[in-house]
Amino acid sequence: MVEAVQIGLGGILQGCTYALLALGFSLVFRVTGVINLAQGGFCILGALLAHSFQAEFGWPILLAAAGGIAVTAMVAAVLGALVFVPGLSRVAHGNMLMLTAGLLALLTGAILLIWGSQPYALPPFSGDQPAVLFGITLPTQGFWIIGSMVSIVLALWWLLHKTNIGRALRACSENPAAAALMGISVPGMTLLSFILAAMIGATAGIVIAPITSLQFDTGSLFSIMGFIAVAIGGVGSFPGAVAGGLLLGLANQFATAYVSSLFSSALSVGLLLAILIWRPSGLFNVGKTRRQDVREEARVQKGLIRIARQAAWIWGGLGLVLAFTLPLWLPGGSLLSSLNITGILFIALIGLNILSGYAGQVSLGQAGFMAIGGYTAGWLAVQYNVAPILGVLAGTLISLICAVILALITMRLRGLYLALATLAFGLMIDSLAVGLDDITGGPSGLTGIPSFSIGGLDFSSPLRMYYLILGIILVSLFLMAGALRSDFGRALQAIRTDQTAAAALGINVPMYKLAAFAISAVFASLAGSLYAFDFNYLSPEMVGTTRSFELVTMMVIGGEGILLGPLLGSGLLTMLPTMFEALSVYKTFANGALLAFFFLYLPEGMFGGLVRAFRVIKNRVGHRPKRSLLHEGRV
Amino acid sequence: MMQNTQAVLLEVKNLTKNFGGLQAINDVSFVVPEGKLIALIGPNGAGKTTVFNVISNLFPASSGDVLLAGKSLVGLSPVQIASLGLIRTFQSARVFPGMTVLENVMVGRHRMMRSNLFDQMFWLPRNRRAEADIYARAGALLDIVGLQQFRDSHAIDLPMGAQKMLEVIRAVVACPKILLLDEPAAGLNDAETADLAGLLRAICDSGITIMLVEHNMPLVMGIADEVLVMETGRLIMSGKPHIVQRDPRVIAAYLGMEG
Ligand SMILES: Nc1ncnc2c1ncn2[C@@H]1O[C@H](COP(=O)(O)OP(=O)(O)O)[C@@H](O)[C@H]1O
Ligand SMILES: [Mg+2]
Repeated sequence: MVEAVQIGLGGILQGCTYALLALGFSLVFRVTGVINLAQGGFCILGALLAHSFQAEFGWPILLAAAGGIAVTAMVAAVLGALVFVPGLSRVAHGNMLMLTAGLLALLTGAILLIWGSQPYALPPFSGDQPAVLFGITLPTQGFWIIGSMVSIVLALWWLLHKTNIGRALRACSENPAAAALMGISVPGMTLLSFILAAMIGATAGIVIAPITSLQFDTGSLFSIMGFIAVAIGGVGSFPGAVAGGLLLGLANQFATAYVSSLFSSALSVGLLLAILIWRPSGLFNVGKTRRQDVREEARVQKGLIRIARQAAWIWGGLGLVLAFTLPLWLPGGSLLSSLNITGILFIALIGLNILSGYAGQVSLGQAGFMAIGGYTAGWLAVQYNVAPILGVLAGTLISLICAVILALITMRLRGLYLALATLAFGLMIDSLAVGLDDITGGPSGLTGIPSFSIGGLDFSSPLRMYYLILGIILVSLFLMAGALRSDFGRALQAIRTDQTAAAALGINVPMYKLAAFAISAVFASLAGSLYAFDFNYLSPEMVGTTRSFELVTMMVIGGEGILLGPLLGSGLLTMLPTMFEALSVYKTFANGALLAFFFLYLPEGMFGGLVRAFRVIKNRVGHRPKRSLLHEGRV
Repeated sequence: MMQNTQAVLLEVKNLTKNFGGLQAINDVSFVVPEGKLIALIGPNGAGKTTVFNVISNLFPASSGDVLLAGKSLVGLSPVQIASLGLIRTFQSARVFPGMTVLENVMVGRHRMMRSNLFDQMFWLPRNRRAEADIYARAGALLDIVGLQQFRDSHAIDLPMGAQKMLEVIRAVVACPKILLLDEPAAGLNDAETADLAGLLRAICDSGITIMLVEHNMPLVMGIADEVLVMETGRLIMSGKPHIVQRDPRVIAAYLGMEG
């Protein structure tokens, strides 16, 4: 009994942190309709800043805490003003989630650069001596945690309901157009909500830091836990955020205590799914409905990239020759290996691009399917000597089943949830990859995976692997190009921008989303298997959530919605760190920064940029420029 | 009654829709005979769009029934309703961004496509024939409405009038039994409106039944076989265009709208 109470208290403390994160999510969501995944990053940033102020500058802990919150607010102000707020008017709504994932990567990468990868903890604010009440010990830090949650809830309530700023914030969330007419600066209020949410996040990180150690990549876990909390409670509802946070914290602690810490995140995801099936809008209904028959305001779309058939043949031919002869020109060794990785990741990206670039569904858990494919094939080969090709098929089958289950559960819900379910799924696979060490070899990875082989033919040298990968890519491109240039591709693109209008034409929206999701899982799984056979080794971080984010970045900077586009992104982000070793620590940071930059300034990606540049040159050099409606008809 | 001599394609019975306390449509009944062009007119906010939304089941009716060729549409999803041959357009032109004008027309053919994903992935002749067929149909329709020269432009770069036309032919290429058009002439200039009138009449003469929501009285009076008039959620009268036009209640409703 005492034990249960003890665990319950732990759950409440953890729950307070989640509740604070969830409050931040709800605040930003109310004003902008966007789930801001950077939230967890601010948490870690605040805590580590406070740690530095305290440990290195010798500031007293409370001053260090205040300093941490203040500096986090400044960072949030800069990121908000330069990325988040401009993004709201330039980036398609569905992509905002990816943009905030980019911000999270940027923060994570910056933290890694500044503080390294080791864990940090703050000293308890009121000493180490725990309070003992009725035989139950409670760390004094617990009072700080509960106290800060209660005071933030009260402060937020006061701000929103008793001040002019609060009235302006609420006006923005209820009707931005009317708010603007009333002279309220909507971008200003958006920025304010973003900064306030970051400060709440920083507070959460700082008060929890004495009882949990934090490191650079804890941020994504915090983001997802905060999101799960807010989704359980009802996105946009403040009481819901608190209730959801506490519920999740309790569930998590009891699961850790009585089941296993390995499965606590899996159970959290399970709790979320159960609640969403039972009550799709969460425990607390926000009760805001939108007219469905009126189109969402069409955000500025990226330009249209279509390549003429003749040009496609010529360039395709040249590309093919280049691809086949490339190994001959390379100085050898490491370049060829990283070319192979480029190709393997491109296979995963073909799938992701169909899901996101064509069908407009965001997935932040693609590496989860890579992990399933890689570990299944690797483990079967290591443990049972199963032929690689059968291992690949087995992995694909499992991925397919997971994808279909995940999609069926989330598909009926609003679009946002599929994206977040994929992130949660990825994190769940992460924890299983570490936890199921009989199969995966745990954190140190699965070793001794053989090279790929079919019958007697083995692909142990990088050169052979290169041609194997090239072959697989060519077949995949052939198949996908066939589907995408036909009815399937058109249906996906219609769904991408206007599901209501697509359904009115008889396009079965859920079925096409499911198909796109299944295809993306198959490609990711295949890529994961190849990855394992190529390295003869697989470790959790090779196919972890960071990898999922990296895939998204590669797709966006390469050119989403263009079949070949992501190849450029994959090439750039894989080859650069190989060629310049020193760059590799900047990788996560660069991923985030590049993602934000491309979303804001070059949404059609490198591929689209190249096509456009080429057109301009061609028009300058030769033929009379063709005047079209594009130049005349625009108002 | 004259309708008895013709097959009824669409029948709406005692349809009611409440939004919270607001009664957007109130006990509306009418029939659309096969092969006719029926117009639904009424001032803004009369509930015309809501009638379309309920028929296509974008949201369910509060009560009442809708029958398409004798089969009830209640409880069917928008996709199922579309596959039965009821295709609608939207008041705000909803062309698909990110696709060319030609692709926008071709996507309309979706419900008639018989080639499956397998055929498409393997570039099988069956799919290539189907694609060639849509390509030809779409091209022909673009010719008719004079958008051929913009076929490879980004659809949302077209002027509003052209987008409206595009939406109409995208619906036509789906081979509907009945076409529900929500204010297709909004945003069109006079010349374009005249073109649209010709197009609608031609579509109807080709055997596609049309139900048209429209504000533009000359357009309606010129082409409709019968006119239904709504005001604040109720159907206030119906009849031949020239009769409806002279009815004092209609004139009052429209004057009310102007004022
Ligand atoms: N989804 C909705 N939610 C709430 N009210 C609605 C909705 N759709 C329509 N209405 C209301 O129903 C009434 C009829 O609207 P509508 O059918 O759009 O009129 P019309 O198309 O004749 O101009 C209006 O008062 C409108 O505000
Ligand atoms: Mg209307």
